[in-house]
Amino acid sequence: MSGAAIRFDNLTLGYDRHPAVHHLDGEVEAGSLLAICGPNGAGKSTLLKGITGALIPLSGSITLPDMKIRDVAYLPQAADLDKDFPITVFDLVAMGCWRRCGLFGGLSRSDSRVINDAISAVGLHGFEARIIGTLSGGQLQRMLFARLLVQNASLILLDEPFTAIDSKTVTDLLGVIARWHKEQRTVLVVLHDLDLVRSYFPQTLLLAREVIAKGETTSVLSPENLRRARSMIEAFDSEAHACARTA
Amino acid sequence: MVKLVGLAIFLACALTANASQAAADNAGKIPVVATFSILADFVSNVGGDGVTVAELVGPNGDAHVYQPKPADAKALREARIILVNGLGLEGWIDRLIKASGSKAPVIIASKGITPQQMEENGHVGLDPHAWQSITNAITYVTNIRDGLIAADLGRQDYYRANAAAYIDKLHALEKQVSDKITQIPPERRRIITTHDAFGYFGRAYGFSFIAPVGVSTEAEASARDVARIINQIKTTKVPAVFLENVTDPRLLKRIADESGAKIGGTLYSDALSPPDGEAPTYIEMMRHNIDVLTVALTQ
Amino acid sequence: MQLQEMLVAPFTEFAFMRRALAGSIALAIASPPLGVFLIMRRMALTGDAVGHAILPGAALGYLLAGLSLGPMTIGGLVAGLAVAIGSGVVSRTTILREDTSLAAFYLISLSLGVTIVSVHGSNIDLLHVLFGSVLALDDTTLFLLATIASLTLLALALLYRPLVLETVDAGFLASVSRSGGVVQVAFLALVVLNLVGGFHALGTLLAVGMMMLPAAAARLMTLEMTAMLVIAVALGAAAGYAGLIISFYAGLPSGPVIIMTAGLFYLIALVFGPAGGFLRRLRPRRHLEG
Repeated sequence: MSGAAIRFDNLTLGYDRHPAVHHLDGEVEAGSLLAICGPNGAGKSTLLKGITGALIPLSGSITLPDMKIRDVAYLPQAADLDKDFPITVFDLVAMGCWRRCGLFGGLSRSDSRVINDAISAVGLHGFEARIIGTLSGGQLQRMLFARLLVQNASLILLDEPFTAIDSKTVTDLLGVIARWHKEQRTVLVVLHDLDLVRSYFPQTLLLAREVIAKGETTSVLSPENLRRARSMIEAFDSEAHACARTA
Repeated sequence: MVKLVGLAIFLACALTANASQAAADNAGKIPVVATFSILADFVSNVGGDGVTVAELVGPNGDAHVYQPKPADAKALREARIILVNGLGLEGWIDRLIKASGSKAPVIIASKGITPQQMEENGHVGLDPHAWQSITNAITYVTNIRDGLIAADLGRQDYYRANAAAYIDKLHALEKQVSDKITQIPPERRRIITTHDAFGYFGRAYGFSFIAPVGVSTEAEASARDVARIINQIKTTKVPAVFLENVTDPRLLKRIADESGAKIGGTLYSDALSPPDGEAPTYIEMMRHNIDVLTVALTQ
Repeated sequence: MQLQEMLVAPFTEFAFMRRALAGSIALAIASPPLGVFLIMRRMALTGDAVGHAILPGAALGYLLAGLSLGPMTIGGLVAGLAVAIGSGVVSRTTILREDTSLAAFYLISLSLGVTIVSVHGSNIDLLHVLFGSVLALDDTTLFLLATIASLTLLALALLYRPLVLETVDAGFLASVSRSGGVVQVAFLALVVLNLVGGFHALGTLLAVGMMMLPAAAARLMTLEMTAMLVIAVALGAAAGYAGLIISFYAGLPSGPVIIMTAGLFYLIALVFGPAGGFLRRLRPRRHLEG
């Protein structure tokens, strides 16, 4: 299916009037697998937060033409998970079923199957009854991916999902991402590792407060583009005047 | 024109005269601070127009656990006489007087009284509720009279007269109380009340008072004590239990329900009622208490 | 007297003991589960906060209707709920977390209450009058406790999954549903209801102690959520029964002894608890093969 999954219209996102992302225009095609790269402070996490609706734009807009917010699955950079809570892996992954399974009653047999499949798909088969506090970093991340699988969303946003994760887990989870792409879901992933991006992601958005380049990965990640991105100023300008380009 | 000026001058003089009269009315009144309502009542009766009285713990208040306010310190500082009960009732008063910096002389109302002891949670201490015996109340009144005279020699005849008149009333009250008591058979002169404040009353007029907890209104009951009281009421056939106006009545109701004793009414022990209540003065308080007791125990 | 007889006699002989037991058990059914969640949400000192927050409501009840316990309890409940709901809303719409916003609100509430009481000039310690004793339960109060217990169980059954979700991963819940706010506020409201009812019927110490101590002990005894809830309730009921027996035979004040018994369970769990007690840490069992 084609058509835009996300549309940006002169979007400016930020905190306290300082923009993290400036005048973004463009579209993300449905079904695309897009890496979002850029230096620190480039506005990548902010952009994802804006897409989920957690952040209101300072000006401009983000629209999701064919989707509701609930069709979006989001994995933040640092999970705000209470790891001391006595909950099993199964129950945590089952959270992804929340919308379908509802408040009351138990899980149906098909729901349970979906959850177990997801746990196996991320390589955590056998861990279903484990308390989450006993998992390693890599195992936790796999578990969160399993939850994303259960959510069955059309748009999936991942913010730096591989930070401090062992390489075997990374490879396995990249397999999950590839599966999503094959299922024609739209997947956006913020990443720092450019080699990873070049190997696995066909499309890239290079962001440095403004769009430096968007499109096919090899051309986007050209040396010149990268140089332009690096020259972006990291800090907010405390003496900035109101932006002249505001329409 | 002249008439107008004259009228103006006349009015001005009249107003000034009035104001100075009012000032003269208050001028010379001794400010007295009494720690609680019963003492305030006594000193009002003895002092009459010679004093203005302020009380710290008001009607239905609990002098045992009172928390002083800044206004109290101010009142103490401006007082010329401070009237306290003594016998350990007002544990908070010494520090308050010191904090207020007041130099006023302190009259201890209970001076000269033979104090009784009471048991409180296993250990024995002084029972401060001396005013519950009218004989003691008369001693209170004479102490107050002497304290007022010492501070205000000019009005000593006035105070003596007031005190004598009031003591006459107290004697009459005592007779009334004795008469009423004769109506109650001796074996029925037993009651339960939550607050152990009637020791002096009991000894003076032949009553025995049984309380589930000690004097302190903070203490919490144990199941054993409650069971004992219920058994005691049942075996000794105590006819009535009485609510007291400063503590939680729920426990008492429980005991009454389970033991078959009647709820006799409210007894006033540590404080007077508000002016529109049943016991706004000491005399009315004692009269109310004995009436309530008689009604409950003679049925 | 036989031991068996001794353990039952106080209750067969005295109605007030039966009521005290009934009241303690009603409290033990509803409060410890809430306590488990409070512990998980790092809000273990909420009980104390609520105890102070209810003062202006009780004061207003007293001003309007005198020393009548009904209006004072309702007033206290309203004040407590206002504080709980207010702090829930604030913690969802600002950067302040639940514990900070609750602390702020209860302090405001308390100072308002003290001002009202001082201005009116009453010398009675209002809260002291409001807080009851487990030995003084009458029919109305027992009914109140039973109603609160039933309501709480029903609500917890309904809210269980969203509440767990909201506690474990509030961010995730917020991203998939708007019910996070409702759940949080409903939970706080339940806590206030149980505490105010508990204060009125049984006194502050018993109400808060029964909410927190069995839960803390249960936390040390199991890692599984359902088991934790059941154990907490069982410990609470046991503490109620044992405390009353001890109070009866040893002549000690009943409320504090019940709580000390619960505290004893906690201390035992601290040392011997399978899920994190000292002994388990010092001398772990032999590890399994795989």
